[in-house]
Amino acid sequence: MKTPQYQQGNSLWKDAQKRLFRNKAAMMALYFLIAMFVACFVLPLFPIIDNPNTTNLDNIAAPCSMQHPFGTDQLGRDLLARVLYGGRISLLVGLVATIVALVIGLIYGLISGYIGGRTDALMMRTVDVLFALPFIVLVIVFSLSIEQPSRELTEWVISTTGWSRESVAPILGLVPLFIAIGALGWLTLARIVRTQTQEIKSQEYIQAARSLGLSHIRILFRHIAPNLMGTVVVYTTLAVPGIMLTESTLSFIGLGVKAPNSSWGTLIKEGADRMEVTPELLLFPTLFFCLTLLALNFLGDGLRDAIDPKSAKD
Amino acid sequence: MIKLLLRRLAQGVIVIFVLKTITFFLVRMLPGNPFLGERKLPQHVMDQLNNLYGLDQSAIVQYYNYWKGILTNGDFGPSLVREGLQVSTIIAEAFPVSLALGICGMFIAIILGIPAGMLSAYYRNRWPDTILMLLAMLGICIPAFVIGPLFGKTLGNMPGLSVAGWDNPLCIVLPALTLGLINAAYLARLTRGGMLEVLAQDFIRTAKAKGAGTFRILFIHALRSGLLPAVSYLGPAFAALITGSFVVETCFQVPGMGLHFVNATTDRDYFLIQGLVLCYGILIVLANLIVDLALVALNPRLRAQGTA
Repeated sequence: MKTPQYQQGNSLWKDAQKRLFRNKAAMMALYFLIAMFVACFVLPLFPIIDNPNTTNLDNIAAPCSMQHPFGTDQLGRDLLARVLYGGRISLLVGLVATIVALVIGLIYGLISGYIGGRTDALMMRTVDVLFALPFIVLVIVFSLSIEQPSRELTEWVISTTGWSRESVAPILGLVPLFIAIGALGWLTLARIVRTQTQEIKSQEYIQAARSLGLSHIRILFRHIAPNLMGTVVVYTTLAVPGIMLTESTLSFIGLGVKAPNSSWGTLIKEGADRMEVTPELLLFPTLFFCLTLLALNFLGDGLRDAIDPKSAKD
Repeated sequence: MIKLLLRRLAQGVIVIFVLKTITFFLVRMLPGNPFLGERKLPQHVMDQLNNLYGLDQSAIVQYYNYWKGILTNGDFGPSLVREGLQVSTIIAEAFPVSLALGICGMFIAIILGIPAGMLSAYYRNRWPDTILMLLAMLGICIPAFVIGPLFGKTLGNMPGLSVAGWDNPLCIVLPALTLGLINAAYLARLTRGGMLEVLAQDFIRTAKAKGAGTFRILFIHALRSGLLPAVSYLGPAFAALITGSFVVETCFQVPGMGLHFVNATTDRDYFLIQGLVLCYGILIVLANLIVDLALVALNPRLRAQGTA
């Protein structure tokens, strides 16, 4: 199985691409995700979407219409706009927290796997201990405890840059979530990266690189890290839905995204409170959220089958 | 076996100690404080309250006193918000509720998830597999906080079932079903993967060649090692039950540990948060221990190595 990889060199990625393109479910998921990103990040820039915070008490809980495709909520706000802006926050938290987890997990796993020996044993025991902690409980406590510092950060950014509070506060208000979820979500990735690093390290081209006198840093980042990218891409894609689920769960119990922001989690919460009267308020955010998670999972599975055919058991 | 048990126990003690220390200092950093109610208290009353609960001492002293309280007479301190109640009393009341919910949820997850995974593996790539795996994917993607209210809405009107509270035994049905379905989805996927791997091996082919029936092959030959991935997931599944219990207990207003924890974090009830976190930590360590032992029992290769 292994030899063709070296003979073909660069075409490993092309192979993967070909396999991915042949996978209909994964490709549909990919197109769906692109459409969702455009809808959440680009569409609201145009005036066709209402302001999600404009209330209109004359038009409360309106049914679907031309003007409000998804109807309006209990304060007369346009639901479509709220779902799209909520998607912005959910996707943003999902992506940024994943990147935080990715950076920590990658560096930790690389170092642990590359150095090996006692350092490796110590670092992996630490991961074992952290793994056994009740993750969600720590995320909650941690995100609450860094709220105050992050508020100070907001003030500092406003005073030094002179940007308006309206533009800065919503994004910086998410910082505790980014850090809390990301800082606690890197464990799986660290383990995977470490195992892969150990495997690659024992191969001959690394020995060759070492005997040519290359520095450790250069071997790590020039020769080992690029070969990890396949695995990393796969597990990152598969991690995003889990992280988005964590965020929405926190928001649902009132400990995640806070006003004035709203994410899909908070919208679903609001909808669930009013499902007896206006089921649309639950239906649309749930649909958007679940379809996005579904698409991410299908894409992740597809990527895994494409990049790492050995692990695909079916 | 004994060696493994001792090692795991030692590791568990470290885990609990680390967890405790982290939460202790994190909780101290929380903005706000438990005495900020609707009524603003005068400063001297606030000082007295802080003094009464020892909150005016330095963090290190408080940390020391906290451990001393627990280790000498099992004292987790008083609840700061719910006056006159000890944390240990609250936990003693809430723990059986959450435990019952968790056990029922886990039971539902196992009886739905594992057979579904086995069926899927047996009918690999045919329609029962496609349908079951699609359902499992949906179960993973539809969060508990949607399934919960939906059940409440659709099944909550059935006679005997209740959507809120904990005053009769049938109250457990809907929350447990919600908890169970989420984990059933993960278990089904893992069981399918594990079974597929085993079914592809030579000894299964041999069994088939010797004329063993489908039932015998699936249950006697393949199940034991095919279950390994699902069993190793049960540790994390237990953690997922805790997450789930936050949501489900909030949805259905079940007075378990999850609901208390969510309320305690919003109220800044320092001692209650710490007591509950400690309790969660112990539960998770125990669950992982049981899972490790079960893995060794299922997979004799681990026994030979003496480690897991």
